[in-house]
Amino acid sequence: MANDKLIEIEDLTKVFYTDEVETHALSGIHLTISRGEYVAMSGPSGCGKSTLLSILGLLDTPTGGKYLLNNKPVENLSFGERSRIRNQEIGFIFQSFNLIGDLTVEENVELPLTYRAGMPSAERKKRVKEALERVNMAHRMRHYPAQLSGGQQQRVAVARALAGSPSILLADEPTGNLDSKNGEAVMHLLADLHREGSTICMVTHDPRFAKHAEREVHLFDGKVVSEDELKKLTAEVEA
Amino acid sequence: MSRFIHNTLQDVRYALRQLRKSPGFTFTAIVTLALGIGANTAIFTLVQQILLRRLPVNDPRQLYRIGDTDDCCVDGGFQNDNGDFAIFSYDLYRQLRDTAPEFEQLAAVQSGQNSAYVRRGEQDTKNLRTEYVTGNFFTTFGIGPYMGRVFSAADDQPGAAPVLVLSYASWQGDFGGDPSVVGSTVFIQTHPFTVAGIAPPGFFGDRVSNNPPAIWIPINNEPLVEGANSILHNGDQNWLYPIGRVRPGTSIPALTSKLSTSLRQFLNTRPIYVAFGAQSEIAKQHVVLSPAGGGIQNLQIETGRGIRMLMILATVVLLIACANIANLLLARTTTRRGEIAIRMSMGAARTRLVSQMITESVLLACCGGLAGIAVAYLGSRMILSLAFPASEHMAIDATPSFIVLAFAFTVSLITGLLFAIAPAWMSSHAQPAEALRGVNRSTRDSSSLPQKALVVVQAMLSVVLISAAILMTRSLGNLEHQNFGVQTANRYVVHFDPAGAGYTIPRLPEMNREIQNRFSALPGVTHVALALYPPLDGNNWSEGVFVQGHAAPKPNDASWSTWDRVTPGFLDAIGVSVVHGRNISDQDTAATQPIAIVNQAFVKRFFPNEDPIGKHFGVGSVEYGGAFEIVGVFADFKINSPREVPRRVFLRPMTQQFNGFKEKQIITGESRSMYPDSIILSFNHPQQQIEELARRTLRSIDPNLTITRVGTFDAQVADNFTQDRLLSRLTTLFGVIALILASVGLYGVMSYFVARRTSEIGVRMALGATRTSVVAMVFRSALVQVIVGFALGIPAALLAGHLMASQLYGVGAYDPLSISAASLVLALCAAVAVLVPARRAATIEPMRALRIE
Repeated sequence: MANDKLIEIEDLTKVFYTDEVETHALSGIHLTISRGEYVAMSGPSGCGKSTLLSILGLLDTPTGGKYLLNNKPVENLSFGERSRIRNQEIGFIFQSFNLIGDLTVEENVELPLTYRAGMPSAERKKRVKEALERVNMAHRMRHYPAQLSGGQQQRVAVARALAGSPSILLADEPTGNLDSKNGEAVMHLLADLHREGSTICMVTHDPRFAKHAEREVHLFDGKVVSEDELKKLTAEVEA
Repeated sequence: MSRFIHNTLQDVRYALRQLRKSPGFTFTAIVTLALGIGANTAIFTLVQQILLRRLPVNDPRQLYRIGDTDDCCVDGGFQNDNGDFAIFSYDLYRQLRDTAPEFEQLAAVQSGQNSAYVRRGEQDTKNLRTEYVTGNFFTTFGIGPYMGRVFSAADDQPGAAPVLVLSYASWQGDFGGDPSVVGSTVFIQTHPFTVAGIAPPGFFGDRVSNNPPAIWIPINNEPLVEGANSILHNGDQNWLYPIGRVRPGTSIPALTSKLSTSLRQFLNTRPIYVAFGAQSEIAKQHVVLSPAGGGIQNLQIETGRGIRMLMILATVVLLIACANIANLLLARTTTRRGEIAIRMSMGAARTRLVSQMITESVLLACCGGLAGIAVAYLGSRMILSLAFPASEHMAIDATPSFIVLAFAFTVSLITGLLFAIAPAWMSSHAQPAEALRGVNRSTRDSSSLPQKALVVVQAMLSVVLISAAILMTRSLGNLEHQNFGVQTANRYVVHFDPAGAGYTIPRLPEMNREIQNRFSALPGVTHVALALYPPLDGNNWSEGVFVQGHAAPKPNDASWSTWDRVTPGFLDAIGVSVVHGRNISDQDTAATQPIAIVNQAFVKRFFPNEDPIGKHFGVGSVEYGGAFEIVGVFADFKINSPREVPRRVFLRPMTQQFNGFKEKQIITGESRSMYPDSIILSFNHPQQQIEELARRTLRSIDPNLTITRVGTFDAQVADNFTQDRLLSRLTTLFGVIALILASVGLYGVMSYFVARRTSEIGVRMALGATRTSVVAMVFRSALVQVIVGFALGIPAALLAGHLMASQLYGVGAYDPLSISAASLVLALCAAVAVLVPARRAATIEPMRALRIE
């Protein structure tokens, strides 16, 4: 188990403003993720899981609080800086795979590397091949996403996330669009990656998949709560 | 650098894939762009070929013309109110040449061109265009022969053996490319000339022209060809344009000043410039040296405004096309929102996404540009054939040159960048977090406003173009359907050249009589007349008028009058009535008192409160004030320009040559005017075979008399409006394209509006909205864009009308009718364009619509 901190979040808030309504999606989140850790984030629908993941992945910016990634504050970076860090430090795995239909499997996996300055073409090809081999999809390099099954598409998405050797993999409901068999396969793949040293943060509402993680973070109404608190609050809502 | 190339190649590959994937979009976009870029490239072909083209000669930048305006073709006296002297006699040219050693060589060329009967051996006589030039013409341009030789100074000496040089196009077209023509004898107006050589291919002479000369003749042969009508040695007849090569380092202002001084010195020696107080005008006479790398600028002056106007209109069409493609791309960008978000989540920088969008757009524009070149080639050929219908060996080529191709490529690039702006802006403002939300999740659509703005721009530009088209069409209608004062139905004009057939003045009366008799005997002929020139044929003879008993006019008095020489039936043949006194009759002979009949405008100017019958006037000098007796007044008609109010006109009998003139130049003019150029025939019913009939009849009189041109009087009048018709048709074409593009744009946006709001419409209907209210909602949304378009377009249309004012006739630049009609047409088209999506919205089934969400 690694002991250095990769992500440190303090008192993080996110407020969405519409014409008349102010929605507090995250209210004072404190969270630390260490290098090599496998964390699952769970909670009921609308609790702020995806919002937190967006901020962790620098897809969105917090309204308040501190966010250190690799000991560097990233909460107030420019759009361009966030793009650069996202490209180098973060790998995304989406619920709906988000492969680009007009690109081949190889091109999809190569995509984040093409946005990285100074990487020679040969190096990119090598990394793509390695990433696809890790997910057993190298034989489908020339295929288009539409020619793959859902499980295969998600494995390609994982390869795309791995290709750039990111510091952390952020997975948003990676099994949400898969049947149980393919879902299990993807979870095993993530577990293998973790064993090989990858840091993973996964959003899921399925307790079975959350158990694959080393640690589970529960969210409720934009706050981190303990498992017991979550059960109690959920019961109150249901009552 | 290699990374940039790699990224670009990758973007190009991806863009090609995108275009292949959406053939409907690609086709629509490429056709739209082809129309826009093609229209611009076609017009630019004309700009390049006519306005920007340099002569294909050695170092054209060294060439300067003495003079700057088009004062073709023969002029006597002062030329322009501001003292600008632009056309010169041979004597004056020689004085200027000898005054200015700053010119390495200074040639002189005929300002206009002649048609001459040309025959080689037993071949048929051809009517070809000739131009008199000085012996140093070819050496001034640095042009050598293609075959044989060009002129030398020795060829242009009095008494030198007559030689000519053929143009390459004429050699190919008129002499079948026969090499033996060099050194052979060719007859020009019955005079033998030796063909010295053939000019190289591509050399079309001293100016860009739709009818370049076929034959160049040394200027000292002009007396041989023209005989008694020669003007070469008449120092007061200005008919030459000097053009020369200025030595490097010469100060043009200093040379201009020197030449102007020399001009004034010359004028002071000529009686016609100093008589009757005219000397006071000499002080302001001057020359202007104009760069002549593009040659004599006659055609440029004539067509420049029209071409520039078309270029502006074509640019507006292109802008509308850009707005349309931008709208299509915006809709595509919206559907590709998910992909853009994914790319951003992978770390794509905004610049990278923008460059990808631009690459796609530019690629699309380049495809459109390629198709546009084909459209341009066909378009410019069509425009040239419409603009110059009777041109031979035209020096204007519709084939796209390297410059035209470069223009098309540049326009494509700019176009691609233009219509990429909105989608690129949209891409750069996409939210990467959307990748997590999924593409189907409802998000606010920020493309709606730019799309509407683009439709507003299209509506605005369409109002301008349609309004311009209506203005031009009305102007053309006014020109064509105005009262010219003449009748044209069942009337025909036969042009011929008695001088070319060898006729001298003593033989003309007999020829005139024979023509009159033979043509009158043709079945169905009601009137026959001969004229020095027919009305509305672009020809004009004018003279200063001196009325007996009136004070001599001052230099700035408008005392000139157009005149023509005709046979007795002329007014009847053109349907003009005598309103006072009598017509010219057969009793007006060489032996009787010289008479004239005048028009009402003439009377108004010279006899405002008098009965002109019995009064006398003359031309050229006050001493000839008693030359002609006025015997009749005829109704005004337009003899020269259909755009002008009727000019002052007097008509003299073909039989009466006035022998009292003493000055050589007046005598020369009087002699020249004895030769009729046209026969005007009036029939009681339309004729189908008029050319054959006229040819046969003339041949029966004299086999040497051949027709140079024949046509209906209607067609001759219509020829005056060739350019107006072309401008009107092209403006209308551009207006229609604009209307279609704007309607398609509006249709696209409203279809997108309905598709995007399908679920909203479903909800509204589920809550009780009627189909009528849904249709009204769609129309309201469209109406706002159209109204804003009108609000911006109407002032722009007013401005456009103001800029077009010089091209309009009988219609004001600020014309509410045109603008109202343009707005109405656009509103109707907009209504049709919106009707389809509105009906689609009204037929939405609420339950189905709600399931889409």
